[in-house]
Amino acid sequence: MTALLVLILRIALAIALYAFLGWTLRTFWQDLKQQGEFLSSQKKPGIHIHAVMENGKDVQHRFVQSEIVIGRDPKCDFPIIDEAISSRHVRVSYHHAQWWLEDLNSTNGTFIGKTQVTIPTVLITSDQFKCGGTTFTILVDMIDEKLLAS
Amino acid sequence: MNKIIQARLLQITALFLILQTLIITLAPAVRARTWAADYHFSQWIALGLWGLFIARAHYDITRKLPDADPYLFPAAALISGWGLLTIWRLDPSFGARQALWFGVSLVVLILGTRLATIDFLRRYKYILLTCGVFLVALTLIFGTNPSGSGPRLWLGYGDLYLQPSEPLKLLLVVFLAAYLADKLPSRLRTIHILYPTVILSGIVILLLIVQRDLGTASIFTALYTIIIYLAIGRKRILFITIFLLVLVSVLGYEFVGIIHARMNSWLNPWDDPTGSSYQIIQALIAIANGGIVGRGLGLGSPGFIPVAISDFIYAAIAEESGLLGTLGLLAIFSLIVTRGFRAALRAPDLFRRLLAAGITTYFGVQTILIVGGNLRLLPLTGVTLPFVSYGGSSLLTSFIGILILINISNHQDMDPAPLLKPQPYLILSSLLFTGLFAAALANGWWSVVRGADLLTRSDNQRRMIEERYVARGLLLDDTNSVITTNKGQIGNYSRDYKYVDLASVTGYIDPIYGRAGLEASLDDYLSGLRGTPVSQVLWNNLLYGMDPEGLDVRLSIDLYLQDRVDEMMVGAQGAAVLLNAKSGEILVMASHPTFNPNHLAESGGKLNADPLKPLLNRAALGQYPSGSITQPFLQALFGNNSVKDKDLIQMYKTFGFYQTPQIQLPVAGVSLEADLKTMRVSPLQMALASAALSNHGMIPAPRIVMAINTPGEGWVSLPAMGTPFEALQASAADEAATFYIAQNQPYWQQIGLAQEGQSSFTWFIGGTPPNWQGTPLVIVVVLEENNERLAQRIGQELLVDAMNP
Repeated sequence: MTALLVLILRIALAIALYAFLGWTLRTFWQDLKQQGEFLSSQKKPGIHIHAVMENGKDVQHRFVQSEIVIGRDPKCDFPIIDEAISSRHVRVSYHHAQWWLEDLNSTNGTFIGKTQVTIPTVLITSDQFKCGGTTFTILVDMIDEKLLAS
Repeated sequence: MNKIIQARLLQITALFLILQTLIITLAPAVRARTWAADYHFSQWIALGLWGLFIARAHYDITRKLPDADPYLFPAAALISGWGLLTIWRLDPSFGARQALWFGVSLVVLILGTRLATIDFLRRYKYILLTCGVFLVALTLIFGTNPSGSGPRLWLGYGDLYLQPSEPLKLLLVVFLAAYLADKLPSRLRTIHILYPTVILSGIVILLLIVQRDLGTASIFTALYTIIIYLAIGRKRILFITIFLLVLVSVLGYEFVGIIHARMNSWLNPWDDPTGSSYQIIQALIAIANGGIVGRGLGLGSPGFIPVAISDFIYAAIAEESGLLGTLGLLAIFSLIVTRGFRAALRAPDLFRRLLAAGITTYFGVQTILIVGGNLRLLPLTGVTLPFVSYGGSSLLTSFIGILILINISNHQDMDPAPLLKPQPYLILSSLLFTGLFAAALANGWWSVVRGADLLTRSDNQRRMIEERYVARGLLLDDTNSVITTNKGQIGNYSRDYKYVDLASVTGYIDPIYGRAGLEASLDDYLSGLRGTPVSQVLWNNLLYGMDPEGLDVRLSIDLYLQDRVDEMMVGAQGAAVLLNAKSGEILVMASHPTFNPNHLAESGGKLNADPLKPLLNRAALGQYPSGSITQPFLQALFGNNSVKDKDLIQMYKTFGFYQTPQIQLPVAGVSLEADLKTMRVSPLQMALASAALSNHGMIPAPRIVMAINTPGEGWVSLPAMGTPFEALQASAADEAATFYIAQNQPYWQQIGLAQEGQSSFTWFIGGTPPNWQGTPLVIVVVLEENNERLAQRIGQELLVDAMNP
């Protein structure tokens, strides 16, 4: 009888030890799941870029990816034929819940108004920037307020 | 969220430790197999202290460091509580000291949570390291050892001892982290940054080598290398150190005595199980005894492990908690390593990152070193198992380490510092996990694969304990009269030999002299391993950690006749065997002089050296020249013709003298065929050969064990081990027996003499005649002197007694 009681206690003891480890793993998994849900819930707004060249010709594209490289190289996301633009001139990218403009060491530089872009700069709707002789205007999609709130 | 996780984990931990305490309390009742036992209550004090301090520390951590990692503190709380209870269970007085140190450690931890920052460690790095080195250097002059002998690594004040090399580990990590965090961003060449650290660490390690604290020295080397590797990120640092370590161990093996001894007992432990490898082998036996589920807390015998509370606490835990428990323990250490590295990678600056990684490495490396040492995966180094082993300095250092980790992990809202190369952190953490995993595999190897081998070793002292707690089967004669029984109560059972004169046959069990005779050959039945259903054996092992009760064995011996022979043989040297010629049952087996097994403890040594060899069972193991006693066999084979050597050989062959009798007794080996000069026969062989004359030419298979009393089916008869065979034709046998019938007597008989050097031997054989209506019987008497009269008297009187029951 004594031994049977102690055997039951010993089984409970082993269960308690593994409950500690099991609970740990459970919280690890919950953490993982939460992180996954958090990342997938971060909706990225699409961006619309409208380019007007010196000769008045205009091109426009809408993007859903989070990184857009503009340049003369046809492999760029937004290729543009302008002698004054470097092959990979400037990068527009989405992170930290903002669209950022980043010059890729272009020969002629990138300007917002009269100011040259040397460090990554935040872009908001209807901002304009200039590379070579081409002026770009961007329009950021409105995001569903409810999603942001969540 | 963190608060909830930490609280829940601590609740589970508390439940785990309450159950442990309860089991330790009840364990004596399980051992005594009754409720009226001497319960242990003192360890509840340890549990109470643990609960108070842990609750307070939990409250302070969640309030002052709300973003801290919620796993580190519960993990440390669990294993430190486990260690505390294990130490208390092994030795309450050491348990009380450890509880005191636990209190001190937790007070330091609780006060430490009030620190907002640990930057002061960085600022005072030189002072801290200097103090640490100074304290270790002091042990060179004022060092003592609490146990009175051994390396003097402690500083003592009254009853309080501190081992300065323990906190020095932490101080070295702090210093290296702070120094490298300061110097690395400057554009000095790596070598210029490193050489001051090489010199400082070299001094510390040399100091430890002088102190003969090799385990700690190897930990320092490992810590130093790993922190430099993490900071610089060059793999060659690891390779160079490994190369140097191998070189040092090879050189040490050749030239330094202590290293040679340690390495030897690691590489060839089985060569010297009572000397230098005594510790490791006893630890492995304990681990094997734990098996998968363990013997249960308070139910194993970890007291047999040397230094079980500190160096071998892992083996002690393995014995009582089993593989199941130690895997959990290793998993918790893995958890600490995981969360420690996570805190390191998320640390807001380089100093904190290196510090967290260094402390985690300290926990990981030290755990692997000592657990690996316990499992013979690595040479044994006398370092402590962090949080678990007995040792105040180690416990305090471990808790300060965990405090720093908790503090560093509390900066999760800040962005982690940029990480140039993630590779060293990945390699290092996978190395540590590999080490812990290898330990788990080695544990499985010893407790499952090699378990049975280890437990049957003669230096497994647990069998002795088991004999005191589990009643052994009785030895009974053919009418169930007791030959050997048990005396004493559960917990101090011992063997009670009622019929002392049979001692040379029935043998003995003894903690020092082992087991002999029937006690040895019937051990499986007498200890309940055979004849009991397997499920019952397993169930008993699970419940009590012991084998089931032994089974009683009924022998073919007839105590009345046995007593008659023993009376007549008092003072003589020789043997007698009375055999049922048809069934082969041995009714009498006497060997004189014999001994009193009840007094083995006092007289065992003398008996072993006695030239008269009282321990020897002369009837089965004695070997005598046959001399002229083979006359009746030659008569049966060749009539009155004269015999040559080849005829003698044929006679020996025909009557089975070249065969070893198959019986549950140690019996003598057989002389080489065709070598008549060295031909020897045992009285048992002679009795079997004689049986052919009384049994119409058939030689029966000898039996001494008749039946065992099984729990399920009652008495179960055990068949003879050998098979009977026809030695000669019935007519020839009957003729020879009739030829030797004594005048006016109802039996046949023959007396023979044998001479060898200065010694003479007298044989008597006799048996029932062919036309005998009762049980056919034969008797053999051999005396180690020339005494025909005595041999004849014994043989004749016994035969007449046996023929007229």
